[in-house]
Amino acid sequence: MNFQFSPEDENFRQEVRQFFQESVSPEVAHFGYVGAHPPPRDVLRQWQKTLHARGWGAPHWPQEFGGTDWSPIRKHIFLEEMLNANGLDYGWQGTHMMAPVVIAFGNEWQQQTFLPPLLSGEVFWCQGFSEPNAGSDLASLKTRAELDENGTHYVVNGQKIWTSDATIADWGFFLVRTDSTVKPQRGISFLLIDMKSPGITVRPIISIDGGHGLTEVFLENVRVPKEQLVGEPGMGWTYAKYLLEKERTSSAFIYFNKRELEKAKVIARAELIDGVPLLETPVFARKVAEIEADILALEWSVLRILAKEELRDNLDAVVSTLKVRGSELQQRVTELQVDAMGPRALRFFSHDARQKDVSEEQGDLWPAHTLGRTNMYFFQRASTIYGGAREVQKNIIAKLAFGL
Amino acid sequence: MDFNLSEEQLMLRDGVERYIRDDYGFEQRRHQATTGEGFNRDHWQTFAELGWLALTLPEDVGGLDCSFVEASVVLESFGRGMVLEPFISSVVLCSRIVDRSGSEYHRQDLLPALIEGRLLLALADSESGSRFTVGSIEQTLARRTADGYQLDGLKTLVFDAPSADKLLVTARLDDHSHPAVFVVDRTAPGVEVIEYALVDGTRAADVRFSQVNLPAAALLIDPSRSQPILEEASDRAALAVVAQSLGVMHGVMDMTAEYIKTRSQFGQPIGKFQALQHRMAEMFVEAQHTRSILYRGMAYLDKPAEERARAISAAKAATGKAGRFVCAQGVQLHGGIGMTEEYPVGHYFRFMTLLEKRFGDTDFHLARFAKGY
Repeated sequence: MNFQFSPEDENFRQEVRQFFQESVSPEVAHFGYVGAHPPPRDVLRQWQKTLHARGWGAPHWPQEFGGTDWSPIRKHIFLEEMLNANGLDYGWQGTHMMAPVVIAFGNEWQQQTFLPPLLSGEVFWCQGFSEPNAGSDLASLKTRAELDENGTHYVVNGQKIWTSDATIADWGFFLVRTDSTVKPQRGISFLLIDMKSPGITVRPIISIDGGHGLTEVFLENVRVPKEQLVGEPGMGWTYAKYLLEKERTSSAFIYFNKRELEKAKVIARAELIDGVPLLETPVFARKVAEIEADILALEWSVLRILAKEELRDNLDAVVSTLKVRGSELQQRVTELQVDAMGPRALRFFSHDARQKDVSEEQGDLWPAHTLGRTNMYFFQRASTIYGGAREVQKNIIAKLAFGL
Repeated sequence: MDFNLSEEQLMLRDGVERYIRDDYGFEQRRHQATTGEGFNRDHWQTFAELGWLALTLPEDVGGLDCSFVEASVVLESFGRGMVLEPFISSVVLCSRIVDRSGSEYHRQDLLPALIEGRLLLALADSESGSRFTVGSIEQTLARRTADGYQLDGLKTLVFDAPSADKLLVTARLDDHSHPAVFVVDRTAPGVEVIEYALVDGTRAADVRFSQVNLPAAALLIDPSRSQPILEEASDRAALAVVAQSLGVMHGVMDMTAEYIKTRSQFGQPIGKFQALQHRMAEMFVEAQHTRSILYRGMAYLDKPAEERARAISAAKAATGKAGRFVCAQGVQLHGGIGMTEEYPVGHYFRFMTLLEKRFGDTDFHLARFAKGY
């Protein structure tokens, strides 16, 4: 066993940290801090260009596609430092979901067409998986794609929901049913669709945090060249599962959890009770300590997976524990911020109001650290729902860890 | 980073697990806990022969000079087996204090004997009202005499004292605010040991010292150096308890999963009910993250004192909560049988009650952790 980061990795951390210190603009930091869903498109584009210029536009891709050959631990350090610096961890749908599938299963034309503009920040992607009647039970999705009479285009009909950022996305990757005669999982394909195609309607869903990030996407006779189907027809379910295996630890949201904990401490140092910083009162300090201990445990659970510990328990069951604990911590840590703010937590900042720092205009009354915290707390109710609801994760654990 | 055990460590793990499974049955343990010293000297001798008492001690006293990882491997299995023998007191806690005491005389006098299984030690530190404070000397006083010291005072909850050959006793000396640590024969004139059983079946005692005369050589650590040594050893012992708790959690989970697959109600095994499945899943989540925070604790064992203390506190606090949850659910999912003295799961619950309190409970460690804010 060796529980320490290597000196080389520590040096790497310094290099990455310095890069983010120098390259996160105040504008990026604002949206990184506030967490508005989604940030403005031009801010996102500029940020991706900054990363790309340094060669870090998509570090987790293979080098031949413009990625790096970093170890899992280095990718971990990179993301941790990026979030600590309030860099924008956005656009995962493209870089972390569409791209790995295209790299692993797409053809050369697809790789050359879709990957470079993603890397350079020109094109943004959204993900069309969930449907009104296919949430946790994703395999029951109904959106159909049928080849037209010439055999050159798929014609897509159906509806997707909870599609993040479809309002700003240029392209989307969709799970669609291309064969309804086989087992539900077998008839699903992975299709890339231009969001400007005739027949697509995007309707924003305003979520309880006031954000506009979630959408509904309606597809009505949308014609998609068949070259845009990735890999083999009917293999979409397999590719989606491949993605989950690629990103085993991301469901822990460990970087988010660590960063939001530090924000909670900043708030609790600034808020006073009878002249004493809240963080120095035993009751509140205990609340913080309890959450921090759980976050530290989660962090090391992530490291254990990244370092490929030979587990005695079922790996997928262990991975599900990351999701269960991580998502609960996302809620607990943002709740901690709200509790630290006390009555100040009650002011509702609209999506538009969160686009800029109000502290300069409003002075001490509404310090910068208050902006967006309550919205984020509201938004995190989704964390135990998306990506496989907590209850589904528990079903998985019971089955795989105990054979129940 | 590498979280895999080496070949040797895997062999050690297999060996300990086999021993606990084959030679440390629940019925024998249950009988042993209520008989004689509350543990079995034959087991202790075997531990010595297998080298388990020597793991973390240096070679010059006959030790194997292993890392804490080896100790944690043994302790996890000992937790699962609810081992009664005084491994934590003698091997994790007291041997560490002696080893770092700076007293070559005591190191050579005590540690080889301890490693060979011929000597048991116990730390007599806590006093009435001291709760979890390390280095308690409000009620124990050492006076200098012509040829040594005279000791008076009262210690309480001295774990494993009734069977110990020697006690490491903390006492006030020369109005120093930190303790002096003395090595005292348990059977020395003036030492009174008032024995009682603890909730897990092991034994502890209140120990009264009345004009106990000690030679000058009995001083193990003088007050100017004692506190960091005691705290470091206690932190290691607290982490040892985390490893034991992890073994407890896995013992409870395995037993409970097995039980709910066979116990039938409403026409089917109760393990088919999702409410119970989710409870098992929640227990599994707790155990996974307990292992992670244990590893993190080990990573900080050799860091500066304050960092080490915070990491140990995070581990102990998280484990106290997790262990209680798992054991409580273990009893609950068993139903009535879980309440009985003849069934192991309730013993796990009792053992975990002890583990949660030893070397600082969850509240203590959360408060110590939060001091860093």
